Amino acid sequence: MTQFIVRRLMLLPVVALGTTLLIFALTQLLSPAMRASLFVQDPNQMRDLEAIIQKYGLDQPFHVQYWEWLKNLARGDLGYSFVARQTVAEAIRSYFPMTLELSLLSFAVILVVGVWLGTLSAVHKDRFVDHLSRFVSIVGTGLPTFVWGLLLLLVFYGLRPWFPPGRLSLQAYLFVTSDGFHAYTGLMTVDALLNGQLWIFWDALRHLVLPVLTLSYFIAAVLVRVTRSSMLETLRQDYVRTARAKGVAEPVVIRRHARRNALIPVITLGSLIMVGLLTGSVITETIYDLPGIGRWGAQAANQLDIPGAAGFALFAALLTVLGNLAADVLYAFVDPRIRY
Amino acid sequence: MQMKNTRSLAILTSVALLISLALGTGIGAAQAVRNPDTLIIAHSGDVDSLDPAWQYDTLSSGITLWNVYETLIFFRGGSVGEYVPMLATQVPSLQNGLISRDARTFTFPINPQARFSDGTPVTAEDVRYSLLRMMLIDRSGGPSWILLQPITGEDSTRDERGNLKPDIYDKAARAIQVRGNSVVITLARPYAPFLNIMASWSQVISRRAAVARGDWNGERATLAQFNNPRRNSDTKLFEGAVASGPYVIERWDRAARTVILRRNDRYWRGRPAPIQRIVYRTVEEFGTRRLMLQQGDADLITVARPEQSQVEGLPGVRIVDDLSQFVTQALFMNLDVKGAGNPYLGSGRLDGNGIPPDFFNDVRVRRAIAQSIDYGATRRDCWRGKIAPGNGPVPRGMFGYNERGQWYAFDRERAIAAWREVAGGRVWETGFRFTVLYNTGNAARRCASEIFKRTLESLNPRFRVDVVSLAWSTYLAQESEGRLPIYFLGWAADYADPDNFVYPFMHSKGTFTGAQSYNNPEVDRLIEEAQRTADPARRRQIYFRLQEIAFNDVPTVYLGYPTGFIVMRSWVRGWYHNPMFFGLGYLHALRKTE
Repeated sequence: MTQFIVRRLMLLPVVALGTTLLIFALTQLLSPAMRASLFVQDPNQMRDLEAIIQKYGLDQPFHVQYWEWLKNLARGDLGYSFVARQTVAEAIRSYFPMTLELSLLSFAVILVVGVWLGTLSAVHKDRFVDHLSRFVSIVGTGLPTFVWGLLLLLVFYGLRPWFPPGRLSLQAYLFVTSDGFHAYTGLMTVDALLNGQLWIFWDALRHLVLPVLTLSYFIAAVLVRVTRSSMLETLRQDYVRTARAKGVAEPVVIRRHARRNALIPVITLGSLIMVGLLTGSVITETIYDLPGIGRWGAQAANQLDIPGAAGFALFAALLTVLGNLAADVLYAFVDPRIRY
Repeated sequence: MQMKNTRSLAILTSVALLISLALGTGIGAAQAVRNPDTLIIAHSGDVDSLDPAWQYDTLSSGITLWNVYETLIFFRGGSVGEYVPMLATQVPSLQNGLISRDARTFTFPINPQARFSDGTPVTAEDVRYSLLRMMLIDRSGGPSWILLQPITGEDSTRDERGNLKPDIYDKAARAIQVRGNSVVITLARPYAPFLNIMASWSQVISRRAAVARGDWNGERATLAQFNNPRRNSDTKLFEGAVASGPYVIERWDRAARTVILRRNDRYWRGRPAPIQRIVYRTVEEFGTRRLMLQQGDADLITVARPEQSQVEGLPGVRIVDDLSQFVTQALFMNLDVKGAGNPYLGSGRLDGNGIPPDFFNDVRVRRAIAQSIDYGATRRDCWRGKIAPGNGPVPRGMFGYNERGQWYAFDRERAIAAWREVAGGRVWETGFRFTVLYNTGNAARRCASEIFKRTLESLNPRFRVDVVSLAWSTYLAQESEGRLPIYFLGWAADYADPDNFVYPFMHSKGTFTGAQSYNNPEVDRLIEEAQRTADPARRRQIYFRLQEIAFNDVPTVYLGYPTGFIVMRSWVRGWYHNPMFFGLGYLHALRKTE
C-alpha cells in the first residue's frame, strides 16, 4: 500500500509539468503583441506596445520563456498573476481558503443527501419516495447552475433578504479586517470560532447557505442517481439474498452488506466531485460574489494571464492526482479484497 | 433530446415567471437608509493600482483622484475650462502674473494651510517631488507622458532600446523648481491645455511618507531602479500613498476585491466629509449588483447602457441620465492593411470575394462608406439614442467642437451614386467582401456592425460584409498591428482639450492614425501649431479646419459622442457631475439622508 502511494506521488510532478507545458504551448499561438495588449486596458495605452513586449520578454522563443518559468518554479516562484494583482502563490493562498470552506460544506451536504436519498430510492424502488427523489434529481441534473443560483438569489435575497451575496456583511467584514481579529486558517467560520466571535460565525454561515445549496443541488442529484443504480445492482447480488435468507434484519442487510459494496462507484465519483469543487465553482463564486479560486482561475484563463493560468492548472493537477489517490486508498478501505 | 428541450423550456419559463414576480413586488419601497455612514459602490471592473504614477484606468483613478490625492487646482463645479485653487492658493493666469508672458512658465503658490492626513504640512518640495515622480516612474503604457510631454518635450523617459535617457532627470528637475513656497513649472514650449492637465494629473503625495515606505527619494542617482516598474505591485505605493484629500485609503483587500476609504478626520480644509467610509466592491455579475442596489446593500452600481432598462423604475433608485462626457465613438478604416493572407480581406483581391489591402486608400471608397451608414438607426438602436451626432474627433461640449461642422448623412440614392463612381464603376460591377470588426461583449458596437452590414449589403447584392468580434486584448493588439481593415473603437479624454482627440485620431503619429496608415502633412502641421498656440481664437480656427479635413479625407467615420448615466439610491445626496471626473468623481460632499 505504502509503495503504491509513493509510486503515485512520484507521478505527480510529471502530470504537473505536462499540464503547464500544454498551457504554455497553447499561448504560443498568440502573437507577442496580442499577449502584450493584455497588460493595457484601453486604446490610450497602446502607444507603448513595443516597450511592453520587451519588458515582459514576450518576443522570446517558446523554450526560453518556458525555461524561465521552470527555473522560477524550482525556486518556488510561480510568477505574477496580473489578474489577481499579486504573485500566483499569494493568489492561491488568498483564494483557496474560501473555496475550501465552500467545498467542504457542500461536499458534506452532497454526500449525506446523495447517499441517503440514493439508498432510500433504491430500497423503495418504484414507490413514492423513489419517484420523488428521481424527479428532484432529474430536475437537478437538467437545471443549469447559473439559473438555479440566480433563482435562489432572487428568491432568498431579492424577495426576502435572508441570505445576502458576498462572504460577510459589511460590519462583520470591517471587524474581521481589523486588528482585533486573527485569521488562523482563512476559513471564515473556523476563524470566527477560534476568535470566539459567534456573530461572525453566524454571519459567515448565512452567506454560505445559498452557494452551498446551489453547488450541492445539482451535484447531489448526480450522486443520488449513481448511488441508486449501484444499490439496485448490489441488492440483486447473491450474498444479499443469502444474508436475507439467513434472517439478518433488513436495515443491517442494507447498511452493512449492500451499501458498503455499492459505495465503490460512489467513492470514485466522490473524489472527482471533491476535486471539482476545490478547483472551482466559477459560476457559483461569480453569482454570489465570493472570492474563490475558481473565479480567479477562470479569469486568468479568460484574460490570458499566462502565469496565473499555468499556476492554477498546476494546482488543479496536483489536487486531481491527490484526489484520485485518496479514492484508491478508500477503495481498499471499503473493500478489503482490493490489494495494491 | 426533444424531452430535454421541453424540460429546459419549462424551467426557463418558470424562472422568467419568478423573475417578473420578484421585479413586480417592489420590495424595499420604503426602506430606511442602510449603513448611513458608509457609501457602498458595486462596480464591475478591477482596481489596477493605487499608485498615482501607475494608475491609468478609470476605476483606479476614480477612487483616488481628488478623494485621496488632491491636485494643485480643481475644476469649478461642472465646468471643464474654469478652475478653482485646491492645493495652490491661486489659479495661474496671465492677469495675476502667475503665467509668464511667453505662456511657458506657470507659478503655483502652495497653500500654507494644506496638511497631509498624517498632519504634516504640504510643502512646495512635496509638490515638486510628486510631479517628478509622476513623470519619471514612467511605466510602459502608463500615464507619465501626459506630464512628460508638455514639461520636458519628451514622449518617454527611455530611448528606443528601452534605456533610461541620461539627461531626462535633469531636464525634468530643471523644469520644475521650488521658489519659496511656490512651485514654478517651465514648459518645453507653450502648451495650451496645461492647466487642464494640472487639474487632473498633478496629484500630490507626501514625499516623507513615500520614502519611508521605500519609494524613490527623488534623487537622480536612484531613479534607474524605480523607472518603468515591471509589475504594478513592484511600486512601493501600490496600495496607496499618504496625501491630503478628504479620504485616506484604509485598505485594499485584493482577495475580496474591495477598496475601503476612510474619512480623513483632520482634513485641512476644515469640515471632514459627512460619510465615514467609502467601500468599492467588485461584483462582476450584473444581476447580483442589481439586487444589492434594490436591497440597499449598494448605494451606487455600474450599469451598462443595454442593461439600463433593468434598473429603471426600481423603487428608491435614482438614475441621472444624459451626463455629458468626452468620448468619441467611430468606425476606422485602414488605408494599408497588414498581414499576409489576412483573413479579414477575403480573397485579398477585388474579384467580388475580397478587397485588396489598399482598398480604403482611395478616398472615394472612404466617402462611399461614410455615405452608406445609417446614422439614425445606429444611434437609435445601438445607443438607445443617447449619443450626439458626430462630425469629427473633438466631442461635443469640448472647446474646439464645431457646432456647424458638416458631416455625411444616409441617403440610399446618393450612397449608390457614390459607389458607382469608385474606380470607374469597377467596384460597383464586381462587388466586394470584407470583415468589419468589434470587440466581444460591446453590445453597442455589435449592433452598429450589424446595421452597417445590413445597410451596405442592401445597396448592391454583390456587396458582402462579414461581422466578426474579437476579445478586447486580441482586438487592441490586431488594431495596433494594422491588421483590421474596418472596425469600431472609441476614445475617452485624458484631459479636456481637443489636442487629446485630434492627435490620436488624425496626427500621423497618433494612436489610431499610425495603425491606419493615415498621413496628411498639413494635418500634422496644424495639430502641432495648435499645441503651441495660446490664443483660443486661433486654436479654434485650427480645430475647425481639422474638422473639415476629417470630413474630406474621412479615414474615420465619426458616429457620435455618447452620454453617460449613473444609477444610485435616492438617499445619496450631494452628487454632481463633471465630464472630466473619472468614475464617480469628487465624493467629499456626498451624504446619505432620506
